Amino acid sequence: MADDKPPQDKPTGAEEPDKPVRFMRQMVSLDYIAHQSPLARRYGAALAEKRVVGQRCPKCSLVYVPLRGFCPLCVVEMTENDEVDVSDHGTITTFTIITPIQYYGQQEREDYTLASILLDGADQTIGQQRLGSIDNSEVRPGIRVKAVWKDDLSGAESGTGGAIEHWEPSGEPDVDPAEFEEHVS
Amino acid sequence: MAGNEWTLEFPYRRSVGPIVGEFLTALRKGELKGARTASGRVIVPALEYDPETGEPVEELVAVADHGTVTSFAWIAEPKRHQPLDRPFAFAHIRLEGADTDLFHLVDAGSEEAMSIGMAVEASWRDERDGSITDIAAFVPTGDA
Repeated sequence: MADDKPPQDKPTGAEEPDKPVRFMRQMVSLDYIAHQSPLARRYGAALAEKRVVGQRCPKCSLVYVPLRGFCPLCVVEMTENDEVDVSDHGTITTFTIITPIQYYGQQEREDYTLASILLDGADQTIGQQRLGSIDNSEVRPGIRVKAVWKDDLSGAESGTGGAIEHWEPSGEPDVDPAEFEEHVS
Repeated sequence: MAGNEWTLEFPYRRSVGPIVGEFLTALRKGELKGARTASGRVIVPALEYDPETGEPVEELVAVADHGTVTSFAWIAEPKRHQPLDRPFAFAHIRLEGADTDLFHLVDAGSEEAMSIGMAVEASWRDERDGSITDIAAFVPTGDA
């Protein structure tokens, strides 16, 4: 019975051509441009050169990635002068396996993993990083990974997702989680 | 570029009342109907209630699929999701037999071809699904 279906599945006039029309499709659509902060622009510009840039706090020396503009622990400003390159190799600290719900516009079909990665030379993890070349069931904290950069870096200004295809195991031995307990997230 | 381009979309379906449902069902058959009120006015597109009195409308009656343009706005640069990818006019159209205006589009080719009072007729789609877009556009009478 059509009445048992949720509203998004109610039949339209096209789907039940022999019955009276009782439902109509509607669409709300909004195109917009999200303007970036100067910090995000510099971060993206570095990614376009296959560099990951962070900022070292002039007081406590913690290295923040991505660019942040201030150290929240010392409450001091960080500027372009405090920028340092960090590695595109790092260690997985935490992760989530996502089962994509097939809502309208969903691009994903299979389960996939997003991880927080503590890059070498950084004290803050970068989050929501896509993993590749590894089964979801194999992912664990402490795995060493490296960036697989995109061939086309024209989307780098939007952040790591536009510059890095995914992160894959680098083959280095796992790191003991005790070694990366102390970091900023 | 100083920012990232995004699109936010929310598709949904909504229920229609029995009168609007009959109006849409008629469109699927390639017919236009209006709702006749107790005072005898014919409202197109059909509404469930007479907006002047709040009383339910009495019945649906056939109206012509041609009429005259009462006002229009020329769309020189159509945006994504607009009904045509070439310049057209959004227009109010008073169908023959109706006492209100139907909001639709006129595909007349150029702004110079548009005028208030011009005669237009519906250009129906071959494949219809019971929506107002079953009329692809109104076109100057004689062009269909």
